Amino acid sequence: MSVITRSWLSFSALGAGVIHLALVISSPLAIGIPLVLLGVAELTWGVLILVKDCLLLPRLAQAGAIAPLLLWSLLTVTATLLPAPQITSSLRFVPMGIATIFGLFIAGVLSVSLRRQTETATETQTETQTDTQTDTSNPMAKPASALKYLSAVIVAGVLVGALTTPALAATQAGTAAIEHGGTMGGMMNIPGMNE
Amino acid sequence: MSKSPNRLLATVFGAVYLLVGLLGFTATSGVGFFDIKGGLLLGIFEVNVFHNVAHLLIGAALLIAGLSSIRASRTVNIVVGAAYLLLGIVGLFILNSAANILAINSADNVLHFGSAVILLGVGLGADKRARARAHA
Repeated sequence: MSVITRSWLSFSALGAGVIHLALVISSPLAIGIPLVLLGVAELTWGVLILVKDCLLLPRLAQAGAIAPLLLWSLLTVTATLLPAPQITSSLRFVPMGIATIFGLFIAGVLSVSLRRQTETATETQTETQTDTQTDTSNPMAKPASALKYLSAVIVAGVLVGALTTPALAATQAGTAAIEHGGTMGGMMNIPGMNE
Repeated sequence: MSKSPNRLLATVFGAVYLLVGLLGFTATSGVGFFDIKGGLLLGIFEVNVFHNVAHLLIGAALLIAGLSSIRASRTVNIVVGAAYLLLGIVGLFILNSAANILAINSADNVLHFGSAVILLGVGLGADKRARARAHA
């Protein structure tokens, strides 16, 4: 996997981790504990895949990325059926929705990457059997030029910053921010933010 | 320099933050050093004099590191990135309080969080070979 893709995954994990940790403040213990574990795991994984120069525990990360969405859906269905809206009242729509976007992005990229790895491994195995002189280097691992890498990282940073900050502002901790900081020309005026 | 993402980023961000620090003074006439309500830079970012000074110092540190070496630029990128990440999170909690001595608003938080992610990402993820050579 290229360093650019890994950076995008890392940024998404950092964004999701910070949002999940911010949601802990308004959550009851039963929801708060999984959120803390999830947030810390996302932050740790996000930093480690940059530092270690490889994808750590990709299968587990893939499952972890969609776990919040599954749990949120399950809680929402339960809250609707019982009916007991207080179950999901701490999980506000905007922060959970944005964290879910990050999670789906991570899961999607990991799925494609794992499939390509499997395909490359199969092709390499076949080629080795027929021709021992074949070059087996992975074309995806080519180093990017500094300018290309920086451009990609800056775009990702701006996107993650622009998505994460409104999400944080929509948590209970960030609600006060709107009163003082304005709405950035409507950017922070997202439905559900002040629920 | 153009071959090292860390040096390139530190130089560009350093120059931009220096410029932002200088431009900030055009928006802070009549604003106190630690005033929690500052002036608006470019009509979006709220700054006070302390905020401008912080931008100047950060810009200078990044620019000098970027022009110096890969090791220096990596270190400064990581340190400034971590500081911005902390500020981006803490910023949400202090916005409406007397502790907001940087006159931070929501737009500042977006900028701080975005800068943090970019600086930390490049600092931690790029120029691994240069680091390995330095340790060899």
